[in-house]
Amino acid sequence: MSASTMCTTALSFTRTSGHCLTNYALNVLGRRATYSTALSTTNAKGFPDRSNRGPRRPRRESGEPRTEKMPEAQDWTAVYPSAAAFKPSAVPLPVRMGYPVNRGVPPEKKGNLELIKIPNFLHLTPAAIKKHCEALKPFCTEWPVGVDSEAASEKHFPIQVESKEFVSAGSSLRNPKARVVTLQVKLSSLNLDDHARRKMIKLVGNRYCIETDTLTIVTDCCPLRQQNYDYAMYLLTVLYHESWKTEAWEAEKTREDMEEYHWEGSPSQKNVLDMLQRMRATSEGEEDPSAVRQELLGRPEVQEYRDSVTRLKNEGETEETMLQYREAVKKLLNI
Amino acid sequence: MAAPIIMLGRNAGAVARTIFRTSRALHQVGICGLYDRPAIFSQSCRLLLPATFHIASILRNAPAITVTDEPDALYQKVEVLVKGHDKAVLDSYEFFATMAAKELGIGLSKVYEPPKHIERLTLLKSVHIFKKHRVQYEMRTHFRCIELSRITGSTAQVYLEYIQRNLPEGVAMEVTKTAIEKVPEHIQKPMWDEVPTKEQEQEQASQ
Repeated sequence: MSASTMCTTALSFTRTSGHCLTNYALNVLGRRATYSTALSTTNAKGFPDRSNRGPRRPRRESGEPRTEKMPEAQDWTAVYPSAAAFKPSAVPLPVRMGYPVNRGVPPEKKGNLELIKIPNFLHLTPAAIKKHCEALKPFCTEWPVGVDSEAASEKHFPIQVESKEFVSAGSSLRNPKARVVTLQVKLSSLNLDDHARRKMIKLVGNRYCIETDTLTIVTDCCPLRQQNYDYAMYLLTVLYHESWKTEAWEAEKTREDMEEYHWEGSPSQKNVLDMLQRMRATSEGEEDPSAVRQELLGRPEVQEYRDSVTRLKNEGETEETMLQYREAVKKLLNI
Repeated sequence: MAAPIIMLGRNAGAVARTIFRTSRALHQVGICGLYDRPAIFSQSCRLLLPATFHIASILRNAPAITVTDEPDALYQKVEVLVKGHDKAVLDSYEFFATMAAKELGIGLSKVYEPPKHIERLTLLKSVHIFKKHRVQYEMRTHFRCIELSRITGSTAQVYLEYIQRNLPEGVAMEVTKTAIEKVPEHIQKPMWDEVPTKEQEQEQASQ
């Protein structure tokens, strides 16, 4: 038995190495042959047998793969009704996946781990999606007809509430960003008069965007989204009602607190009227100063000057506004 | 010839194989058999079952449609952003989501691919010393964004649940809902108009 073992191992060695090392191999193995054991633990191929120490279970041959028996007009949704791993014997496609080794081709689908690892969409073929959607249709509702355009939805539903939901796998299902609620509303859609609007803008500060006339309230102080939404609506309610109230201290509003520039009572008005009065005084005699001022204010050049200065201060310095100011000054000084 | 299932003292694997063999035998004969193999059903029992059998078998009892008086929420925009490491998986998912939206009659305003984000790390190759030899890893996150416009609350719930149940492994989703609402009643008019009348009532009551 030991001799036969030596021969089989020698043969296996020469076969696997691929070269003819007969003399050298036999000499080497001949020296090792003295250590061979009584029981042979290698089978004919030279690989060690699995240690079960009992009668070996015969290896059953797998039958014909299912793909051979599939008719062409079969119902694929029955083969893959829900998400399942890739089964090469159940998918009749000649798919190949993997890196081509030794300038070959990608490995075939039988026993291919790469195809099993990647998520497949075999259960979501167009036919399956159609079937699912047919079953889901009764649970859907239609968009109301009167709110089709942007303008209509702005008019009837001016408040926009934004929230996020997260779906991911991890050690925790929660996401702290899911409780943030953003409320956006245009002030033009709320019932506010002039004073209430100015007060509201002062109360909210930088939450109001002048270009889009949108008030944005972001709440995330409460632990639940519903609570944050309720808090945002509460804030809106409080802001609205407080802005309609007129407090006693609001009468102390000074020129610096004003949002816009008013020419009446400004140093510009005083200077212009003084200047025009002096220009007049040089040519004529003394008159009642207040009556003169009133008359001067009524003049069209002064009105134009007023418009140009107000526009310059409120809108900023652009070519147009500067040109308008220049024309007004020229007319005023008769240049 | 339906072979009877003979239970001998074998392990579970053998029993399973026996059942499998028996079911295959039944399939060949054409008799509707075991309920845990719906795949066999379809080929042999098409005449008995309607097309929606598979959904019914999954859902067991089809849920009844309940109509409530509560007004349906309205969403101006629902943005679904999916993130994954494999672009091909996201491509397939996008096809599935867009097709499902079309079938359910939901309007899609934009379907686009935001640029991918790559996070790179440079670590030491060795456990100890060898500072000059490093190894670099990168993690690529691909995105896909599907924007649905003008969708009601019920439809959004149905669509999102369907989409989320079929989300593949290794893909995360972020849903941004923008709901539109009416101005609530308590913000229609300032309450200060009504307060004096309440004070008058209190005075009248005290008198």
